[in-house]
Amino acid sequence: MSYSPLVRDLRRQLGPENVLSAPSELAVYDCDAWTLQRRPPAAVVFPRSTRQVADVVKVCRSHDVAVTARGAGTGLAGGCLPANGGVVVTLTRMNRILEISLRDRMALVEAGVTNSRLARELAATGYSFAPDPANQGSSTIGGNVATNAGGPRGLKHGVTVNHVRGLVAVLSDGSIVRLGPVQASGGPDLIGVIVGSEGTLAIVTNIWVRLTPDPEGYRAIRAIFDTIDDAVAAVTRVVAAGIIPAAMELMDQGILTAVEEAFEFGFPADAGAVLVIEIDGPTAGLDRQQDRIVEICRQAGARETVQAATPEQRESLWKCRRLALGAVGRLSPSFMIQDGVVPRTKLPQVLRRIVEIGREHQIRIVNVAHAGDGNVHPILLYNERDRRQVDRVSAAGRELLEECIRCGGSVTAEHGIGVEKPALMDHLFAKEDLDAMTRVRRAFDPTGRLNPEKVLPAAGSAAPDGSQT
Amino acid sequence: MSTATDLLPLVDTAAPVDEAEVAEIIRRARGEGKAVYPIGGGTGLDYGARPEMPGVGLSLRRLDRIIEHTPADMTVTAQAGLTAARLSERLADEGQRLPVDVPHPERATLGGLLSADPSGPRRFSCGTVRDYVLGLRAVDGRGVAFSAGGRVLKNAAGYDLCRMMVGSLGTLAVITQVTLKVCPVPQTSAMLVCEVPDFDSAERLLEGLMQTQTRPAAVELLAGASHQGNPAIGPMLESSEAQLLVGFEGTQPEVDWMLGGLAQEWQQLAGIDSPVTIPAVEVSPVWGWLTGLPADVQINAPPSATVALIEKLRGIDPNGSIQAHAGDGVIRVYLSPRVPAEFTALVDEKLRPAAAAAGGNLAVLTLPDGAEMTRDQIWGPPGEGMALVRAIKDRFDPHGLLNPGRFRC
Repeated sequence: MSYSPLVRDLRRQLGPENVLSAPSELAVYDCDAWTLQRRPPAAVVFPRSTRQVADVVKVCRSHDVAVTARGAGTGLAGGCLPANGGVVVTLTRMNRILEISLRDRMALVEAGVTNSRLARELAATGYSFAPDPANQGSSTIGGNVATNAGGPRGLKHGVTVNHVRGLVAVLSDGSIVRLGPVQASGGPDLIGVIVGSEGTLAIVTNIWVRLTPDPEGYRAIRAIFDTIDDAVAAVTRVVAAGIIPAAMELMDQGILTAVEEAFEFGFPADAGAVLVIEIDGPTAGLDRQQDRIVEICRQAGARETVQAATPEQRESLWKCRRLALGAVGRLSPSFMIQDGVVPRTKLPQVLRRIVEIGREHQIRIVNVAHAGDGNVHPILLYNERDRRQVDRVSAAGRELLEECIRCGGSVTAEHGIGVEKPALMDHLFAKEDLDAMTRVRRAFDPTGRLNPEKVLPAAGSAAPDGSQT
Repeated sequence: MSTATDLLPLVDTAAPVDEAEVAEIIRRARGEGKAVYPIGGGTGLDYGARPEMPGVGLSLRRLDRIIEHTPADMTVTAQAGLTAARLSERLADEGQRLPVDVPHPERATLGGLLSADPSGPRRFSCGTVRDYVLGLRAVDGRGVAFSAGGRVLKNAAGYDLCRMMVGSLGTLAVITQVTLKVCPVPQTSAMLVCEVPDFDSAERLLEGLMQTQTRPAAVELLAGASHQGNPAIGPMLESSEAQLLVGFEGTQPEVDWMLGGLAQEWQQLAGIDSPVTIPAVEVSPVWGWLTGLPADVQINAPPSATVALIEKLRGIDPNGSIQAHAGDGVIRVYLSPRVPAEFTALVDEKLRPAAAAAGGNLAVLTLPDGAEMTRDQIWGPPGEGMALVRAIKDRFDPHGLLNPGRFRC
């Protein structure tokens, strides 16, 4: 078999067993969980060290092709789609936990370590890595860093950037840079710039994550409301009462109906919204806080509240939320999970509008939301094989994100821009703002070789053809 | 305290009333080949090296309005010249706060807070200002205004230029407006204080705090004469090496439980019988006192290296004083030598090597009167990210007008 010069060089650097180049093998890497757009790379490599990542970047540089880093491929915005072909650097074989230091409340992990693996490793220590993105079983810490992943617990416990103390990254010229984990006084927060940059500024290979002590106890409350407005009012009043719950998950009538159709939880058919609220902290204050939240929910118009103290009870309360995607999967051959965010007080308005947009485009849209931070996840049900439905889903998705912008929000809270949303960046930001981001990108990657055509609109996400040098 | 004219080579001053005027001043300075020195409350003017390039002092004091505060959204947008104290007052009306410790809050401005990114006692539980900046507006060194971020609590759209501006010491752009995430004020707060007889005990107590069932808001280790005399804390025993203060915040039952819980843990761990409790009614000034304690240098080190390093520092300068945000590995040192040459020699020859040997770094925060240090002496050797910082600087302030000579670039 004859290989292209690029593949030959990659095989020489990494060993043939760490390079894929057969079309049938490459097809697996032509998209992530955003499946509306596909493109196979010229090669996929599986480096086992930072040094090997640097070697790959240098090979790609000498052949003038793009480099796209990839973790588990669970991204929902096409962030690791190799938009211009080139080489996909899959980091899943960099999966060692290099150090856990409880005294320093820190762990050093390779980018391919999964959230669940780290959680298992930390299980008996009383500490954890706080971000809890939905695909914990497969998502990698490197992927969390790329998208600045959040999850339901973001309001109280923060998102990925709040939990990264340092990192080792490979830059577009193949050099290796180590930032942190001991912060220096003075100077821009480069770690904060790299986190969430979706692999366009650097390829992060090692991460020092902050470890957070586990709460002593948990309580959960589930409340059923007649309307979204009442549920959001409850969320606002809980926070106004000085309580920051670990999670406040909102489910609208659409998703409740879907859950009922699939699993028959026994929710009243006319329920307008369900809130699942979880609090955590020292046990001493929890019962009182739980009572207070129940009282607030009732005052806000909750028709029914259920409380949970034991892990089993909590799990049963959470079940309706955890099964939401499964319910949707049973009802529809394909679905798209959108990600938008608005100031919390705009939640009722945006959720109402989203349902209308669904009607207008004849697409069934159901909603879950991390209500505490105004993060909506509309789920659009469709059939991927029906081209017209695909077009309608794309149009509806765009329109609901534009509604988020109109409400003073943003087009993504935690999934990233990827290849899906660069065009919306023009709506969200002024030219000067995008120009500032472009300058940052050029400062890190003058050639535009790293993950081209992502994050910024066309003008800012340079082509990897070497013309920008 | 020294004023702007003492510390900066100002040939002119300006106090613009809006962002357009800020941009105009920067563009004019560029035309005239002058530097631009952004000035907030003037509390950090002696931070960094002494600049030499003559320039305009650009005061943000007239940009001091709160633009929007929506308590239910937990966000506030204000102009960069607003003082931390005035922001606090406004937020307190709604039972909210920005949980970041700001030295000299009556004068310190939001723009200065972002630019200098100080670490205070609450960093242990609340982080620093970088964890609260949701959006900002700024004018770069070419006189072009831009926005970053937004006004939502979570945002993954594009690069986080807010974080890029945090800690940038006014060298990339002049911040004109900031949107911050704010939080409910905790119901109550209290502290527990104990005497630390020796450094082995200090390490044992700190290690214990890593496994405690309580959730401290702050972990402070104090040593030395200058950090004595707070009436709420009481004087340190002569037989002690240090005092350990642990702050708690939360609901009344939580704080009560944590005070009792930690006292019990200390008794079992180190035989500490009667720690001093600083109750809610007395604790507020102590938080302020801890935030405002003077320091000449700041060492950042791994938390696990903190106690050994403090022991070494006490040996190097027994008459100096130390405040450590011990849970975070931040050690703030107030040196006893005030003669410039002695001060400089101590930092160069003793303190920085000690910090480096412990895996940490050191920066000089303020210079004693008459002392002169180079940028390298103040900031220490540049880290691995310096080439990236320079590349960013070249693209945001290509003519090198903003705060030249103070930071590393």
